[in-house]
Amino acid sequence: MIDIDDIYKARDLLSGQVLRTPAIASPGLSKLTGADIYLKLENQQVTGSFKVRGSYVRMAALSDAERKAGVIAASAGNHAQGVGYHAEKLGIPATIYMPSNTPFTKVARTEALGAKVILEGETVAESRILAMQAAGDEGKVFIHPYDDPHVIAGQGTATLEFLEDVPDFDAVIVPIGGGGLASGCCIAARAHNPDLEVVGAQADAYPSMHQAFKGQPPHGKGATIADGIAVKEPGELTTPILKEHMKDVAVVTEADIERAVQIMVDVQRLIVEGSGAVPLAVVLADPERFKGRKVGLMISGGNIDSRLLSSVLMRGLIRDGRLAKLRISLIDMPGALAAVAGIIGGKGGNIVDVMHQRMFRDVPVKEADVDIAIETLDADHVREIMEALESEGFGTRLLSDMR
Amino acid sequence: MDSLNSSEPPVFADVLDAQRQLKGWARRTPLLENTILNEKLGFRLVVKPECLQRTGSFKFRGAFNKISRIPEDMRANGVVAFSSGNHAQGVAASATLMGMKSTIIMPKDAPKAKIENTRALGGTVVLFDRLTESREEIGERLQKEQGAILVKPYDEPLIIAGQGTIGLEIAEQSAEMDMKPDVVMVPAGGGGLVSGTALAISGTLACPVYSAEPATYDDHKRSLEAGSRQPVPDGAVSICDALLAPIPGELTFSLNSRLLAGGLSVSDDEALMAMKTAMLSLKIVVEPGGAVALASALTQKIDLQGKTVVVVCSGGNADPEMLARALSMPS
Repeated sequence: MIDIDDIYKARDLLSGQVLRTPAIASPGLSKLTGADIYLKLENQQVTGSFKVRGSYVRMAALSDAERKAGVIAASAGNHAQGVGYHAEKLGIPATIYMPSNTPFTKVARTEALGAKVILEGETVAESRILAMQAAGDEGKVFIHPYDDPHVIAGQGTATLEFLEDVPDFDAVIVPIGGGGLASGCCIAARAHNPDLEVVGAQADAYPSMHQAFKGQPPHGKGATIADGIAVKEPGELTTPILKEHMKDVAVVTEADIERAVQIMVDVQRLIVEGSGAVPLAVVLADPERFKGRKVGLMISGGNIDSRLLSSVLMRGLIRDGRLAKLRISLIDMPGALAAVAGIIGGKGGNIVDVMHQRMFRDVPVKEADVDIAIETLDADHVREIMEALESEGFGTRLLSDMR
Repeated sequence: MDSLNSSEPPVFADVLDAQRQLKGWARRTPLLENTILNEKLGFRLVVKPECLQRTGSFKFRGAFNKISRIPEDMRANGVVAFSSGNHAQGVAASATLMGMKSTIIMPKDAPKAKIENTRALGGTVVLFDRLTESREEIGERLQKEQGAILVKPYDEPLIIAGQGTIGLEIAEQSAEMDMKPDVVMVPAGGGGLVSGTALAISGTLACPVYSAEPATYDDHKRSLEAGSRQPVPDGAVSICDALLAPIPGELTFSLNSRLLAGGLSVSDDEALMAMKTAMLSLKIVVEPGGAVALASALTQKIDLQGKTVVVVCSGGNADPEMLARALSMPS
């Protein structure tokens, strides 16, 4: 049984070991959603996520002999960083199991913290089984990412701080993967104010806790932008805690989460990873539920790959009609392309790429398609340019997605 | 400061006064750092992220310090400002909060997002054609016709004092963190932010303060070296759109020439790489001009080993295209 005193103890233990991250008001997001939004910035935490809280509390509880023997964990992401970071500081040898297809940058980042990385298993779940076996064989302690009272108490300190800084929330929204952060959040919130609503948030690719609430068997598969919470099986220790304290678990789509990451950049000027943006996605997907209420969003982490972030930003431009790709049919004769360029330029569009389709396409030899990428002001501007082209006799089709 | 339109350089007490004026209105932005990055760099890098300020840049501080002091009986006629960017938003937001009208004169070809943000903050945007119209004439006409009060972007004591509240916060927050900064680095365009910050630091931490600029717009650096205001050469270009003032301000330079330890400059690529580090390691969005002090620190334009460096990241209003460009830079 974990209670608020465990979280207080964890806080004392963590003092000076991790950051007390800022909590900030967000007038921009409040204006956008109609709720009174505050953010707890665990993306600013050491290693870029809340995970260092739980991992430190767990490792601080090890005996001298256990410290000497070393620890084992399985994770390709934030938990690996959390364990690796503190193990190095505490002088504990750490071995991290990662799936064999883990990107090199993630391996390197964990190795840079001083941990030994073993690439084994197809999935994180498989790596975890192998890691637990190895821990048993080698007499090392397995550091569980969420099903551990120390870890839950450690993660609970994030909510404790949030409520100290902003005591009068109506609701707090917290991402759920295995449920460690959310369990700690529930315990801290209940002790603070029994009426405070805690809303769990999951990605619909991995809605395991949502299913546990509904009594359905867990399923989860595929790629998700919220890889930090892509957990197939809900925790044994965490599930009952969440069921006791939480009314429901909200589930959001990949598109909702992607948009939330983009809005965090556009409106709040903060970099947030997919799983950290899930609480905002919940508000954006159901603004009525939160309208006029004071809502805290647990921004759990900020570790997003630069390429992924870049494509989220560019896809955002396309969705907003600020970048568009048109396929235009033209008679293949001199000057046709110049005429098209003239029409687009005359309407204020800026051509950034042109691809002439003549050789390889199934079009009559005297016709050609040209694909043109243009920078535009918004969706209306795109439509205006398309109409102008049509009215001059150039058949035009929009190839990119636009809201 | 007695007068709303004083032309004397501000003093330390004016910055303290500005802090009282801004209390409850401007955000006290946090100090951020990444301990793992610090270990890699060999010095302690602490960031003051004004991208998290109201309107996404420090400009709100100065604008509010001026506009909120306009006496009740002069408020009816509103304020007027010229800007294509961050100052526009700071002025519009401040005026709206004070229940005043604001007219912002922006070039017709200013980014639509900035025009719309300014409107969304309550500003009336008047567009002018850079080629055929003079913004000064439009401004003068509006001042005459409407009796509107002009809010300059940097060469005004109240503006400088308002921006200086950043320096006071750095000193306070350093004390709270038990930290003793050795160096402070601040981006410079017209020089309002760096002069105000240096004024605040001179009365608190008393550590060296450097200005940071794009290499092609290094007018502060050259002016500090020459001991007099030097203009930017004709035809200079930079991606740092927030820092393209043609020459240091008169008032700001009178402070900077006395208070700054020196001027630093970085290339556009160095600014882009700093933006990337800001996004990936500090988890904040910084615009090119906002990143030049960070870039100066990351590329160690002066010896920083073992030191504690505070850099001001002055704004975050960058387009997604620019952010994507920064993300594609080599690490």
